[in-house]
Amino acid sequence: MQTWTSQAPIYQQLADRLADRLLDGEPDEGEAMPSVRTLASDYVLNPLTVSRALQTLVDEGVLETRRGVGMYVQPGARLRLRLAEREKFLKEEWPAIVEKLRRLGIKAHELNWEI
Amino acid sequence: MSAALIEAGNLTVRYGSKAAVDGVSFQVPKGRVVGLLGHNGAGKTSLMKALVGLSSFDGSLSVLGMNPLRDREKLLEQLSYIPDVAILPRWARVDQLITLMSGMHPRFSADRARTLLKRTSVGPRDKIKTLSKGMVVQLHLALMAAIDAKVMILDEPTLGLDILSRKSFYEMLIDEWCDGERSVLISTHQVEEIETLLSDVIMLNEGKLVLSISLEDMDTRFVGLSHDPAQAEQIASAHPLLRYRQAGQSAALFDGAPPEHITALGQRFRPSLVDLFVALTRAPERSRQQA
Repeated sequence: MQTWTSQAPIYQQLADRLADRLLDGEPDEGEAMPSVRTLASDYVLNPLTVSRALQTLVDEGVLETRRGVGMYVQPGARLRLRLAEREKFLKEEWPAIVEKLRRLGIKAHELNWEI
Repeated sequence: MSAALIEAGNLTVRYGSKAAVDGVSFQVPKGRVVGLLGHNGAGKTSLMKALVGLSSFDGSLSVLGMNPLRDREKLLEQLSYIPDVAILPRWARVDQLITLMSGMHPRFSADRARTLLKRTSVGPRDKIKTLSKGMVVQLHLALMAAIDAKVMILDEPTLGLDILSRKSFYEMLIDEWCDGERSVLISTHQVEEIETLLSDVIMLNEGKLVLSISLEDMDTRFVGLSHDPAQAEQIASAHPLLRYRQAGQSAALFDGAPPEHITALGQRFRPSLVDLFVALTRAPERSRQQA
């Protein structure tokens, strides 16, 4: 079964996972998202949790609701997600990495940028 | 919101002088997946039996607007129930069982049962006695989910199943039963793996209700704090529900956010249902020792 951490609410973690997949084009812009029930069954989650995760992505302008049909990936969703991910990385993850590099005494020129 | 599907007020179930369920009040609205948690002997099965009219009770109880004792026959037409001692006749074939159910139950759909069984590895010509334990439980769920009902009551349905069988059981439950209208009450000891499936949880301890809450509210009401062991004394002064160790760190669990100077001593985390279960219930032998 899926594993979830104790750091954030599960709907938030699911929203992050769905966002990761959207960045890889699954599903592509303009295409339909899988239904709440399909996702609930795939991730073995309560449908309410899934709805909340999808709503988060709607609020972020990544998905749109088409009444009576379901959720669709908004045009420009990947760009928007990438920008949000970049900002999150620069704000939250990069400072921690810099801190670790300092602690280990690693200089920028010692890093292999060609991996 | 429309009326609750199940409504219990001060519900008490007695066996002789012992109260197996002791003054319990709760509601189950529509479209919910409710976990009923408690140690062995906490009163889960007694409570479920009262809900389906199999044991007498004091207090008020309404299931689908009916009194389970008085309207039992009518109620059982609109409710699916798998008891903890559920057995299917070993000599029968699957298609015979479907025919039997069609004759017995006015709201049973044979077509739907056949469709549901296509999800599983159970074939219509299989004899029950040749099926594995996991397949029997899948079959049982398929038969129950083929009843056009609003409430399903499952008493430890996954007991004794391996992890793959449990997973396919839960998948079928979500996929084929949960439609936002129907509700299910499910008791289990597999607290950890059922947490994400639930919308609400009801916890019993020695017959008494210790918690009835939605998982959404649980996330905001209870706060976990992991901290350095050196801070233990200060943390304890804020009266956590429980203190324990996890992954080499000390942790404390609070009902309601602790004061800020306490929160500042550690890292907040989302307590799991297991943590809460441990904090709020005790095995009967331990309570006796403490008494």
